[in-house]
Parts: sequence; C-alpha cells; structure tokens
Amino acid sequence: MEHKNFEVMTGNKACAWGVKLSRVQVASIYPVTPQTTIGEYIAEFIAKGELNCELVNAEGELSTQAIVKAASRVGARTFVCTSGPGQLYMHHPMHGTSSGRLPVVMATVHRGNKGMQPDHTDLMSQLWTGWIQWYCENNQEVLDSVIMAYRTAEDKRVRLPIAIGYDGYILSYTSEPVEIPDQAMVDEFLPPYEPIPNILPDKWAEAQTRRGAGMMGDFMSGGADPQAAWRIHHEAILNSKGVIKEVNEEFGKRFGRKYGNGLVEEYRTDDAEAVIVAMGTIASTARVAIDRMRSEGKPVGLVKLKTFVPFPTEDFQELGKRTRAIGMIDRNVCLGLGGAGFGELRRALYDLEERPRILGFYAGLAGAEVRVRDIEKMAEKTLKAARGEKVEPIIEWAKLGGGE
Amino acid sequence: MSERITIKQIPLEELVITPGSACQGCGAALAARLAFKALGPNTIRHSIPACPDNVTRTPTSGGEFEAGGDHVTGTWRALKALGREDVQVVGFYGDGGVYDIGFQSISGAAIRNENVFIICKNNEAYMNTGGQVSGATPQLAMTTTTPVGPMSRGKPNSRKNTPMIFAMHGVPYVATASVAFPTDLIAKIQYGKGIKGFKFLDILSPCPTGWRFEPNKTIEVARLAVQTGFWPLYEIIDGRKFRLTYKPRELKPVAEYLKLQGRFRHLTEEEIKEIQRDITDYWERLLKLDEIGEILL
Repeated sequence: MEHKNFEVMTGNKACAWGVKLSRVQVASIYPVTPQTTIGEYIAEFIAKGELNCELVNAEGELSTQAIVKAASRVGARTFVCTSGPGQLYMHHPMHGTSSGRLPVVMATVHRGNKGMQPDHTDLMSQLWTGWIQWYCENNQEVLDSVIMAYRTAEDKRVRLPIAIGYDGYILSYTSEPVEIPDQAMVDEFLPPYEPIPNILPDKWAEAQTRRGAGMMGDFMSGGADPQAAWRIHHEAILNSKGVIKEVNEEFGKRFGRKYGNGLVEEYRTDDAEAVIVAMGTIASTARVAIDRMRSEGKPVGLVKLKTFVPFPTEDFQELGKRTRAIGMIDRNVCLGLGGAGFGELRRALYDLEERPRILGFYAGLAGAEVRVRDIEKMAEKTLKAARGEKVEPIIEWAKLGGGE
Repeated sequence: MSERITIKQIPLEELVITPGSACQGCGAALAARLAFKALGPNTIRHSIPACPDNVTRTPTSGGEFEAGGDHVTGTWRALKALGREDVQVVGFYGDGGVYDIGFQSISGAAIRNENVFIICKNNEAYMNTGGQVSGATPQLAMTTTTPVGPMSRGKPNSRKNTPMIFAMHGVPYVATASVAFPTDLIAKIQYGKGIKGFKFLDILSPCPTGWRFEPNKTIEVARLAVQTGFWPLYEIIDGRKFRLTYKPRELKPVAEYLKLQGRFRHLTEEEIKEIQRDITDYWERLLKLDEIGEILL
C-alpha cells in the first residue's frame, strides 16, 4: 500500500479504469451523453494494448445490452454503460439479462428523463427489471464499485447483474484525485468468471441437467409452479445482501477503503435524533450540512444509501429503533406515486412497534442544484418532527437555492 | 461460390428435435433439418420468437425478438475472447425477426462483419402469431392483417428485398435457398460455413397453415416458387460476385404457383398478369447479373 498510484480523473475515466482492472473480456458501447467517454477510454485502453477486450460498437443501447447478455451466457466477463434515454431504450433486454442470472455489470451515468441534466429517474425506472442497483458518491467509489460489482455479481450465491449509478456531469465530467488499485491485487480479489450453465457445445449436455433449477429463469417453460421464476429471482436479490456486505468488507481489508457496510454508510447517526438519507453526490453535500449542524449542537446524522436494490430494510429497521425521524431525499419521482426512497423506507419501517416519523424531500431532479443550506433546511424540519413538533407537508418539493 | 453436391452427399446426422413444435408439412422445420445437417453439432443456435421455435438439439440461446443480430454478436465475441473460435454461431430466425423488428440488429452485425451465420426461415408472414403481414409478405397476398374486402386487395406493397440489402452491406456471403432444392441449400451452407465473417441465407419455407394449402403440397409449392421465378436461387459474394444457382431455360407461369395457395385465391387475371410482369422483369435483370457475374454497384 506504500506506493499509491493517484491520478486526477473524471468519473467516466474512473469507470473505465474499473473495467480495465477487472479484465473485462467483452464490452459493448453506444454513445449517449453524459456516458460517452467511458467507451472512448475503454477503446483507448484497447488501442494502446493495455486491455485485451472485444469491444463492440453497437447500433443502439438495446443492442449493447443484448450483446453483453449473450456474451455473458457464453462465459465472458462483460461491461455495458448507458445514460437517461439510452437506459430507457435498453429496458427490454435488461429483463433477459437478470432472468438469465447473468453477472453483467453496467454503469448508468444519470441523466434524468426530462432533459439532459442528472437525476435518478433513469435507473429508478428500471426497478422492475430484477437488477441490483448501486449509487455512487464520488469518482473513487465509481472505480471501486466496478471491481466490487464483478466480484458480487459472479458470486455463485448471487449470479445477478449489477447497475452502478453515478450522477452525470457532477461526476462523469468532473475530475478529482482517484487512487488506481494495483492490478495484481485486483486479480487476487477477482477470480475469473465461470458461466452457469455453460452453453458451449461440449458442455451443453451437462448444462441441460441444470435447467429447471431456476438458474436459467426459464419463464416460458411453465412447469409445476408458474410463479417459480419470479419467486426464485426475487429471493436471489434479497439473499445478495449478505454477499454485498462480505465483498465490501474484503475490499476494505485488501484496498484500505470501504463504503459503509456495502448497503448503507452511516455518518454521525449514533446519538442522532433525526437522520437524513441521501444517495449519490447529494450525500457529499449532506455530510457538510450535518457537520455544520453538529457544530451548532443539533443532533442530526446522515445515512448514505448505496444499495437501493436490494433495499437495506434491516439496516433501516435497526436505525429506526434509535432515531425519531428520518428525512429521505429523493432525486427521483415515480410519477403519481412518489419518491422511490420514501416509499421503500416507509415499507421497511411500517412493522416497527415504535416507528420514527418519515419525511420526504424531492431534490436535485433535472439537475437542480442542492446546496448545503438546502440540506440543512431539510434536516431542521426532520429534527422538528423528531421533537414532536407539527411539520407540514410530510412530503415536499424542496425549495432550492437558498443562501450559500 | 458453392459447389454442386448430390443427394447422397447430404449428411445423415439429424440434429432436429422430433416431433418438435411444427405443423404438418412445415417448410421451416424442413429448413432446420437440412440446414443443421450441414452445420453440424459444434454450433450454438440462437432463437428469437419464431415458428417453429424449438427445432434443434444444438446448444440454444436466445431472447429478444428485436435483438437477433446482437445475440449472435455477443456470442461470437465471447467465443473469440475465450479462444473458442471453433464453435459456429447461427441465428435461425423467421422473416419477422430478420426483415422487420430485428433488421437493425442484424444490419449492425453485418456491417461489423461478425463471424456469424444468419439463416432466415422465411414463411413470408408472422406465422407464429397467426399469420400477420411482415416485410417479407409478397404484394397482394392475403394475411390476417391485410385481409381482402371491398376496400382491400391484400398486402398493398411489395416485399422487402432483404437478401440484396444485406449484400449491399458488402458481407462475404448472401444466398437464397428453397426447401425443394436440398442439395443447393446444403451446398450453400457448407460453403458459408467455411467463410469467416457474416453469412446470410434466406430460405423460402412454405407454410401450409398461413399460405392455405394442403400439408402434402409443401415441396410442390416450394419448387414452383423457384421454377416460376417467384423465388430465384442465387448467391452473392462480397456484395459483388453474383450467380444464379438454378437457371431453367424457361420460367413456368407464376399463376401455377399462385393458384395452389389460398392466400392468393382472390387475385383477378389482371392482378396475376401484373405479378407476372414484375417477376419476369426482375428475373431478366438477375439473368443479366448472372451473365456478367457481377452486381455493378
């Protein structure tokens, strides 16, 4: 660990470095802002002879996803990336990738559904596709998450695709120092990928005996329990929580960095009466706001939510027992229903005997800038709720742009 | 160019699943039987929604209807990355998946010259869903979505010339085939198998159910399609070298082909004459290409 290799790089370059260090064998790309430069960096690594990877310049995002799905089934480690409208166009084959239990890793560089600017509605609109979803806070986390994602996705207990979301522009095109892990250490951490089942002609007969065990997600085959494909897939995602935590722990031991417990990262929550929950880059801003309020003696804390699918229900239930109010910042809205985080949080805490109050804030949609003071206001309101004061409305569109 | 073979040279090994999911007299099932005899077992077959769907014993992978060209691309690139270039990658798709919804992805695979074989079991409509019109449906044919009535004479426009479109991608090999000419079909697959790069074979596969003829007439219908010039047999190398692989001295009247099928039963003598004019015209153009051995584009 003595000779740390730092480079100042954009989030998209950090992502490409993660791909390179993970020795990805097939990558499929198609340009869409703000994701495009990931593919350019990968292409450069290949052109320079630094990465041995089949790069497919595909004819659309639907194609990029279908290509890596097919390649993963044969047994190659695969990578694909997208943004906003590209993510929406990719929707159909994403179901096949997860139903086929294929460990594809995808970067979603957030671009909202109502313009070029970032929010989480692109990836959130894929909640029903059966993918694991991670959200990143900074460029270092982007690089590290790619490596951790392969290790998690390819684990025999998981076998699911993972989408890594990070905010467009704020990270994708902004440079900051990133430590590049040592290749030999990554190789040790990340063993080669073996497909299950194997569809190579010489291994097909053996693979056939595994069909029906749920690994192929044979949704057309029916069988005794027509719901089995859904149930098995759902349970597999829920069961991945333990593996995500393990992988995060081991990554921490080997590389000296980890991200909370892999699902959530708590900050100054121990004695907090009120807690703010944030995702992606808003978590960085929120950390500053919490520090400022703590210096004023206000008992507030932060939970950075990294893994949205599977939702860290248990972690929040534990938190819910020792805090009086939680304010969820949603950089997304499921139109007509509400923020995805708010809904999940309430679902997770409903069964607690004494549940905290849960407030919702829409913030940062369509690239709206969320400042420290904005988060302080949300935390103040949450603290009021924690202290039994009347707060209205419970869910609000944060009024942004105050006083910084 | 493919070399002539005899019936005795057709491989004996059967790779199709019997009885499979096909109707009696299914041309596409026969296309699968013949094609995979020539392809052999060291093959990964991709399938997309098509009729019949469960046809061969080879390893099979598949998925989205629109992504046939991508499935073969991903499989081929992974095989290359894993050092398993010995395995053939075949997309065995219907005309909907090739001519219409999957056209973009197959065009992408063609332009990248992926080392894959796309075989179209062309029954000229969406037979899997009950016979709706596709880009491969010939003009004036009746389908369930181009019915015949006082305001409609069947499909209003002509079929997409997909083999020629793929040839214009400049790919190594494009050919047409018919289940009534098995040695020609197999010779073309054997030839394509030996080429590295994108191969496309369009096999006219009569559908007794959708075309409305008796199941025992499949070969007769398929043969007449070729003998009348309705479905010419040819091959194109590198989008340039051209050869008709079946060249009768004289074409039979197209009416002989049309009158066997219920989907053309409504045609008037005048409409049949129009079809005949189009076919004769196109056949004469192909004869010229054959004579000079080249597509001059």
